[in-house]
Amino acid sequence: MTGGMTRPLSRRARVLLPLSVLLVVLASWEAAVQATRTQGLVPHPGGVLWSGAQLTANGVIFQAMSGSLARVLIGFLFGACVGIPLGLAVGAFGTLDRALRPVLDALRSIAPIAWIPMAILWLGVRGNAALFVVAYGAVFPFIVNSSQAVRQVDRRLLSAARALGAGRWVMLRSVLLPSALPMIFTGARIALAFAWASIIAAELAVGIKVAGHGRSVAGIGQLMVETLYVKRDVDALVFYMLVVGLVSFAIDAGLRRVQERLLPWKSH
Amino acid sequence: MEKPLDELVRLQGVGMVYQSSRDGERVEALAGIDFSVRRGEFLTVVGPSGCGKSTLLSLIAGFAAPTSGSVLFEGRPVDGPDPARGVMFQEYALFPWRTVAGNVEFGPFARGVDAATRRARAQTLIDLVGLKGFERRYPHELSGGMRQRCALARMLANEPTLWLMDEPLAAVDLQTRIILQDELLRLWGDARAGAQRPTVMFVTHGIDEAVLLADRILVLGRRPGRIKEVLEVDLPRPRAALRGSAEVARLTAHLWELIRDEAAQAIAEETQ
Repeated sequence: MTGGMTRPLSRRARVLLPLSVLLVVLASWEAAVQATRTQGLVPHPGGVLWSGAQLTANGVIFQAMSGSLARVLIGFLFGACVGIPLGLAVGAFGTLDRALRPVLDALRSIAPIAWIPMAILWLGVRGNAALFVVAYGAVFPFIVNSSQAVRQVDRRLLSAARALGAGRWVMLRSVLLPSALPMIFTGARIALAFAWASIIAAELAVGIKVAGHGRSVAGIGQLMVETLYVKRDVDALVFYMLVVGLVSFAIDAGLRRVQERLLPWKSH
Repeated sequence: MEKPLDELVRLQGVGMVYQSSRDGERVEALAGIDFSVRRGEFLTVVGPSGCGKSTLLSLIAGFAAPTSGSVLFEGRPVDGPDPARGVMFQEYALFPWRTVAGNVEFGPFARGVDAATRRARAQTLIDLVGLKGFERRYPHELSGGMRQRCALARMLANEPTLWLMDEPLAAVDLQTRIILQDELLRLWGDARAGAQRPTVMFVTHGIDEAVLLADRILVLGRRPGRIKEVLEVDLPRPRAALRGSAEVARLTAHLWELIRDEAAQAIAEETQ
């Protein structure tokens, strides 16, 4: 609720008010931890800042981040390469849809994370299991949105294009594809959010063993497991959580930007 | 088998039955339509809602085939859409991902006309329909009237022999509608001699519009749509000057007489 009985806030107050609330919360949090001497068990803002500075300075956070992001990207691209063509085909051909629907629905209903034990069994713990989970999770948003995009193509636009002389190729490339694009792109955003969420979970599950080997690139999830069990650094854990949130925010904001640039006729 | 030269479209015993997408029921939209559209005439089509006006138009456009009878265009059976038969839709049906210029260029683009030629032609048409300065806008940035101008220019870019217009002005407000009527007449060649005008088949709900624009009015009766009457409109052109005149009012009243009962019936059935 904005407004109500009160006068609307000035622009400066709109920034300063939430900011000061945040500062008060952080300060009382810090004070509470200091007063109860529970550092090491309960994270506190000062410790988070300190750990964050260290992990940034020695580059650990960047290594872990690039390891995780690389897997997300590969899994996401795999999802696009499989999901978009499959989705388009399923959307365009009713027979194929009917044939594959039960299988796809069944697979889609299984949470990607539930595959982890199997993935570890087949692919080992060196990052490939996590990659599998990410790719698996990313495929379905692409399938669902691509097929829906084809089904929802405005029939009148198809008629208009035919009346204007469009042949098969022009129809496909210059009518069907552009009209499906916004929805596919929305699918991509969902897929990437899924991928990022499941990479953390997958790395958490796969984690600890890899961290000891030092051979494969440990991701941020693995780093969190290590931080929890080996280093027992609660402040670093909170710092990782913040970074994870920040990255997913940045990814979505970036994709929205791309969407606005590529699809200027749909601004959402 | 010499056919008269002034016959552009010929409908022979045309009937259309389709399955309703809502309840799967058989709907007889048109029955026993025998009619010819003369080359160069402005024909308006009126009738109560559900009389198959739009169906008739889509048969001539080639979007669907009649379940009985035949549709001939320039003496040949219609099998599918063709750029010679331009279509304008009620809800514009502009490509939202193309700018005004991109939409107008689409026809020539689809038929493989080279970029320079189609650009030049599009610009001419954009100027002609009064959209100069809006070439780079997308349809969602345009008003209803401007979208309809864009749709008109897009249709004209293919230089069609026949303009098939399905209630093109139904979605714009009254003032815009009057302005667009005048512009449509101007583009068609209201002030020129009849021989060089394109042929127009214009479906409308507006009976005053039907009178003001037309050389002939095709009146359809409802369900299944049959030809109820064909009215000749012997009023001088240009027509814009006759807006609100006694002759137009008299013909409009007559037309209303013809369709009043069925229109009322249609409304009664729709509200059930």
